[in-house]
Amino acid sequence: MVKKVKRVKKPVFFVVFLLIMTFAASVLFGFSSFYGDIETVYVKGVDDIRFGIDIKGGVDVTFTPPEGYDATDEQLDSAKEVIVQRMINLSITDYEAYIDYSNDRIIVRFPWKEGEAEFDPEAAVKELGETAQLTFREGIELDAMNQPTGVTATNIILEGKDVAEAYAAYDQTASAGSQWLVALNLTDEGAQKFADATAKLYAEGGVISIWMDDTCISYPRVSAVITDGKATISGNFDAESSKKLADQINSGALPFKLVTASFSTISPSLGLGALEAMVIAGIIAFIIIALFIIFMYRLPGFVAVIALIGQVAGTLAFVSGYFGFNASGILTIPGIAGIILAVGMGVDANVITSERIKEELNNGKTLDGALISGYQRAFSAILDGNLTMILVAIILMGAFGTPDSIFSKMLHFVFFMFGPSTAGTIYSFGFTLLTGTVLNLFFGVFCSRLMLMSLSGFKALRNPKLYGGAKK
Amino acid sequence: MNNCKFNIDFIKNRKIYFTISIILMVFCILSSFIFGAKLDIQFKGGTLITYLYDGDIDLNTFQNDASAALEGIGVKATTGTDFTTGKNNIQLSMLSNSGLTADKQMVLTTTLEEKYAANNLELVESTDVSPSAGKEFFSKCIVAASFAALVLIIYIALRFKNIGGWIAGVCAIAALIHDIIVVYGTFIVCGMEIDANFMAVVLTIFGYSINSTIVIYDRIRENNKLYGKKYSLAELTNMSVNQSMTRSINTNVTTISAMIVISIVAVVYGVTSIISFAFPMTMGLLSGAYTSTCIAGPLWVWLEEKKSGKGKPAAPEKSAEA
Repeated sequence: MVKKVKRVKKPVFFVVFLLIMTFAASVLFGFSSFYGDIETVYVKGVDDIRFGIDIKGGVDVTFTPPEGYDATDEQLDSAKEVIVQRMINLSITDYEAYIDYSNDRIIVRFPWKEGEAEFDPEAAVKELGETAQLTFREGIELDAMNQPTGVTATNIILEGKDVAEAYAAYDQTASAGSQWLVALNLTDEGAQKFADATAKLYAEGGVISIWMDDTCISYPRVSAVITDGKATISGNFDAESSKKLADQINSGALPFKLVTASFSTISPSLGLGALEAMVIAGIIAFIIIALFIIFMYRLPGFVAVIALIGQVAGTLAFVSGYFGFNASGILTIPGIAGIILAVGMGVDANVITSERIKEELNNGKTLDGALISGYQRAFSAILDGNLTMILVAIILMGAFGTPDSIFSKMLHFVFFMFGPSTAGTIYSFGFTLLTGTVLNLFFGVFCSRLMLMSLSGFKALRNPKLYGGAKK
Repeated sequence: MNNCKFNIDFIKNRKIYFTISIILMVFCILSSFIFGAKLDIQFKGGTLITYLYDGDIDLNTFQNDASAALEGIGVKATTGTDFTTGKNNIQLSMLSNSGLTADKQMVLTTTLEEKYAANNLELVESTDVSPSAGKEFFSKCIVAASFAALVLIIYIALRFKNIGGWIAGVCAIAALIHDIIVVYGTFIVCGMEIDANFMAVVLTIFGYSINSTIVIYDRIRENNKLYGKKYSLAELTNMSVNQSMTRSINTNVTTISAMIVISIVAVVYGVTSIISFAFPMTMGLLSGAYTSTCIAGPLWVWLEEKKSGKGKPAAPEKSAEA
C-alpha cells in the first residue's frame, strides 16, 4: 500500500503560500491607478462585483402603452417576454418583471448601483422600450417625412415573426470589401413568402426596403430569386450594431410602443444594510471556521485555512471579472449560497483528509506513510462529492442560463419544451458552485497536499502530535 | 475490527430512525395544509403601493407602521429616488392572498398620511401585479430537479457498482428529498415566504446532503474492499458510519456555526430577512447530518436485504477496482 515516499522540497510551502496570499490580496483590492480623478481599472477587485437587487438594490421602471391604447392581456404578456429577452441580451440576468393587467402596466426591476460606470440604466431603459418592428417592404416609396407610402406602406413582405433566427455575420466575400451584416434564417412560411416576392420583384427589377420601426436600414435591388429561406441585411454595421439588431430581431417586436411612466431607484429587497451584514457575517464566520480547524487538526488545519483563503479568493475573482476572459456576473443571495456550499465542501475535503491522516497515524503508520495514504484514501470521497456538485451546477446553469451558453445548448434535449426562460439568480448559484468546487479540487486537494508534504520535511514539524497522532 | 471512538448500531436501530423520519415528513407536508405556504410576490403576485415623501423616513419603522395599520398583514418596504423628478418614494408590497381589501388600503393611506404629515406623504399609485415567475418557471424547476436526481443516481450507480450502486443511488436521493422536505417544513412552520432565499437554501442543502451521503458510501466501498468477505453489508455499513462520525460532526459544527454567526449578525444589523436564509439552512444541515448517518446507510441495507430475500444480504463481491 505505502509507496516509496517522494519528498516534496521544503521551499515549496513558501512558494505556494506566497502565491496564494498575493493572489488573494490582488483579488481583494484589484489593480487600478488614478490619473487626476480618472480611475483606470486594470484588474477588477471585490469592489467591482455587481450585486443583485436583493443585496444592493437597483432601478424600478414602470412601462405603459401610449395614452389611449388599450392593451390586451396577451399583448402585455408578450411585451413582458420581449422585455425579459432584451434584458438578457443586455447581460441583465437578475431581474423582476411584473404585469398589472387592470392598469396596463409592466413593472421591471434590475440591479444597478449609483456611480456604476460600465452600465447606463437610462440607455438600458430606452432600449427596453423600443418597439423593434422589423419589416421587409416592397419598393422604396417615401413621403415627405421619409416614411413609407404607396405600395411600400401597403405591401409588407416579411415581418419579425417570419424570422426563425437572426445572427450577426462577417461577410468577406462582398465585392465592396468585407462588412458586417445580419443574417436571417426564415421560417417555412416566411421562406415561401420571400420566394414569391423575390420572384415577382426580380422579374420587375424592383427593390425591397428593410425597416426597423420607422427607419429604413437598407433597400437592396433584388438580384436573384431566393428560395432557401436565407436573407441578409446589410447597412453600415459594425460588430456591435449588427449583434444588437440580431438580438432585437430574435427577441421579437413589442406589440405596442412602451412609454416610461416612472423610473426610480429601489433599495435592496432584503433590507438596507444587507450587504454590510453579509460581509461582516462572512468574515466572522470564516475566522471561527479557521480557528476551529486549526484547533482540531493543528498543522493540517493551518494548511487547510490557507487553501480555503485561496478557494474563496478564486471564487470572488471569477464573480468580479478579475480574469479578463469571463464577464462579471451578478451576485445574488443564491449566488452567495453557492459560495457557502463550495466553501463547505472545501472545509469538508480538508476535514476528511486530516481525519484520515490522524487515523493512519493511530493505526501505527509512520508520519510519511500516514500523510501519503491519508491523502490517497480521502481522495475518492472528495472526488465523488465534488464531481456530483459539478454535475448539479452544470444542470442548473444549463436549465436557467441564457439560451446561447454552452451548458444550455448541451442540455437542450432535456429542457427543449421550455421557452428560453432565464433565471439569473439560480444561474448565479450554479456559477459560483461550479467555480468554487473546481477551485476546491485545486486548492483543497492539490495545493494543501503540496504545502503539508513540504512542511513535513522540516525536522521541527515531524512530531506526529502536530498531525493529530498520539504521543510517541 | 473497530478501533474507533463511536460504536453505535445504526442498523439495529433503523426502525426508530425510519419512524422518526416518516413522522417528520408527514408533519412537514401536513403543515403546508394547516399553515398554508406563503409564496413571495414574485411567485404569487400582489399589490404595490407607492408614496412620495420629503425629508427622511426610517424604513423599518414605516414598514411596522404600515403593517400595524393593516392589522398585521405582512408588508415589505423599499425606498428609492425618481430619476426625472428627483423625489423620494417609498414602496410597500403585499401578497395577493394576504386579505388586503380596497377598504384596508384606504385605512392604510389615511393612517400613514396622518402619521407622516411632516414628510408630506402622498399616495402616487397602487398596482396589482401578476407573478413575475409563473407556472413555466416552476415546471422547469421540477424538470431540472428530476433530471439532476436521475443523473446523480446514474453517477452513484456507476461509481459504487461494486457494492450494488443502483439501490445506493436511490437511497441517496431519498435522503436528499427528506432534507429538502425539512427545509420546506421549516419555511412553512416559521411562516417565512417562499422566495429567492428558499431557492438558495434548497439548492445548498441539495448539495450538502448528497455530499454527506457520498462520504459514507465511500467508506463502505473502501471497507468492502478491505473486509468484503469477512462481514455482511449491515456490519460494513455500521463500521463505516461509525468511522465517519468524527468527520460528520466536525464538518457540521463548522458549517452550522457559520450559519449561527450569519443569524446573529443579521439580527444586530436589523436585516431580519437574512434569517429566513440562515435558519432554514441550519435545519437542513441538521437534517442532512441525520439522514446521511441514520437513513441513507440503514435504508440501503434494508432494501438490499429485501431484494435478496432476507437472510444474508447480497454479499458484495470482492472489488476489482484499483
